[in-house]
Amino acid sequence: SSGINAEYGEIRSHLNIALKPCFSYLAQCRMMSVSMENFIKHIKLQITKTSPDLSDNEAKEELLFECENFFKENIYLAGKSISEKAVARIVNGDMILIYKKSQLILHILLEAKRQRKQFKVMVVDSRPDLTGVASCERLTAAGIPCSYVYINSCTYIMKKVTKVLLASDALLANGYVLGPVGTAMIGLIASNYNTPVIVCCETYKFSERVQTDSILYNELADPDSMLKTLNADDSLVAGWRESPNTRLVNLVYDTTPPALVSIVITEIAELPCTSAPVVLR
Amino acid sequence: AVVSTQSTGKKISKDTVSRLEEFALYLRESKKERRSYVSVVKTVNVFRDLICTSEWVTARELIKIIKSYCKYLPLSQSNETDVSNVVRRILKIIREENAGSEATSFADGLSSFFKSDMKASSIGRPDLQDNILNSIVELLSELETSKSNIINMALEHIHSNERILTFGHSNTVRDFLLHGRKARDFEVIVCESGPSLKGHKMAAELSDGGIKTTVIPDSSAFAIIHAVNKVIIGTHTIMADGALRAPNGVHQLAMAAKYFSVPVIVCAAVYKLSPTHLCSYDPDAFNKVIGPENMLNFSNEKLHSKVLISNPDFDYVPSDFIELFITNTGGHAPSYLYRIISELYHPEDYDLDNMCVEAVEDDICI
Repeated sequence: SSGINAEYGEIRSHLNIALKPCFSYLAQCRMMSVSMENFIKHIKLQITKTSPDLSDNEAKEELLFECENFFKENIYLAGKSISEKAVARIVNGDMILIYKKSQLILHILLEAKRQRKQFKVMVVDSRPDLTGVASCERLTAAGIPCSYVYINSCTYIMKKVTKVLLASDALLANGYVLGPVGTAMIGLIASNYNTPVIVCCETYKFSERVQTDSILYNELADPDSMLKTLNADDSLVAGWRESPNTRLVNLVYDTTPPALVSIVITEIAELPCTSAPVVLR
Repeated sequence: AVVSTQSTGKKISKDTVSRLEEFALYLRESKKERRSYVSVVKTVNVFRDLICTSEWVTARELIKIIKSYCKYLPLSQSNETDVSNVVRRILKIIREENAGSEATSFADGLSSFFKSDMKASSIGRPDLQDNILNSIVELLSELETSKSNIINMALEHIHSNERILTFGHSNTVRDFLLHGRKARDFEVIVCESGPSLKGHKMAAELSDGGIKTTVIPDSSAFAIIHAVNKVIIGTHTIMADGALRAPNGVHQLAMAAKYFSVPVIVCAAVYKLSPTHLCSYDPDAFNKVIGPENMLNFSNEKLHSKVLISNPDFDYVPSDFIELFITNTGGHAPSYLYRIISELYHPEDYDLDNMCVEAVEDDICI
């Protein structure tokens, strides 16, 4: 940290002050996700906990080790643990529905394939970002038979699906699952057809916030990305900024009520949605 | 080409034949942006022509001729239900005029509704034809005023400062909302209805009409529906039990609306009401799967011929999800529709392919 007096034990207060503008810059660029907020809280706590007897360099090394450790334990190893538990639930003959692209879910499916389980995957995608295509590409490259639909057709294909495997961005304290927009719809359709919904969530994504609807706390993505069409024609609302009556709203998240989720798999345990606050303690 | 019926040896003129063939071609070709009102009016005109110019003596013969022509049309495909319904209306008109003053009522017993009332009538062809054509003119005027009857009910169903959610594009709903805008101020949220993105067209038309419109992707429907006052949608067909054959994506929207107890209102004219039930979810029986060029680029070689892509055109929406039907005959609950069907169509015409035994021997060869 340039320009800061490097005295013994002062790193605790000085580093916090130095990092503050960095965090606020990140928050200005884009709203922070729950996982980012949790990590920042964690690292701030580690900074205040550094022993005053350490030199600056030693303290910095310790903090860097803490960061690496956070990644290793909470993300990498947690992912492996969740993947083991989830793969155990996949049986031969399954048709598994996944939504868009998630590293964790793809990891689970590729691991299941490595363990020679016979299953098919139904990839549900939605506009405007269409990340499900990348999921399809990864899965077909690994030799897993895939089908691909838009979220509109979810009701059309749901009766063939045996399990729904969803990723999440956060698990709120009242049991609601924060995920990419459309997750709640899939949970609703699956529960109408009595298909189990399995949500995978690492504990670093658990949040103390409570929310009952998706609008109170959400993020708006770029509305112009909704204008992209796959054929050459322009969208008919392409001139929406000039029209005083037209608005495009592109939500990023939505919250799924706990009643629509069968089970949440975390690295610690497999629990019902409503047990999230127990883990937070 | 000359058309003849084998058993009676009667001929239909070349003019009529060319008009019939033109109509069949029109149905076969215009799969995409066919406005149902336009094709329904065309249907009535073509069949009116057929009634005037074909050779028949009794109503039974006329019905056989009409049903034989229907076999030539692509009516079994799910796209053509409005045409089939109008043909059924015409057949009912013919049967009614033939029965004349002997209107069937419950007093005759329930069996009178079902037995074929094709006994030899005392009415000769000229009178019968006149009566039929008069009724057809009434039918045409009913079709013409069907849209205005529906949109005039807009003010009863839209309050000020409401938020209304709609799905994709529907001419009826668009005019319904624009009519409501003349007196009330409200907001509309439109689901864009991928992959065809018809919702964008709807949003452009609504905002040109002065309504504050918000376009959202279909995945956001669950997220925002609790903040919406009602859902107003159009449909392709109304099934006999009050279920819908609606554009793809309406079923999940109706599920979300039911979860939050938001009423779903369907605006549709009565010629979309079809006396058929869902018997199978198979694509051929109920749905239509169309090309996926709007979903995934053909240039994506990694997925070419490796991934199964489904792009169904329609959705089956069970009647439990629908609160109200607004039709040109007024507002109806889904449970009332069976009564309207019994007034509009005759049971023997429910299955247009069904012809009485003698009729099977006749065939119109073209």
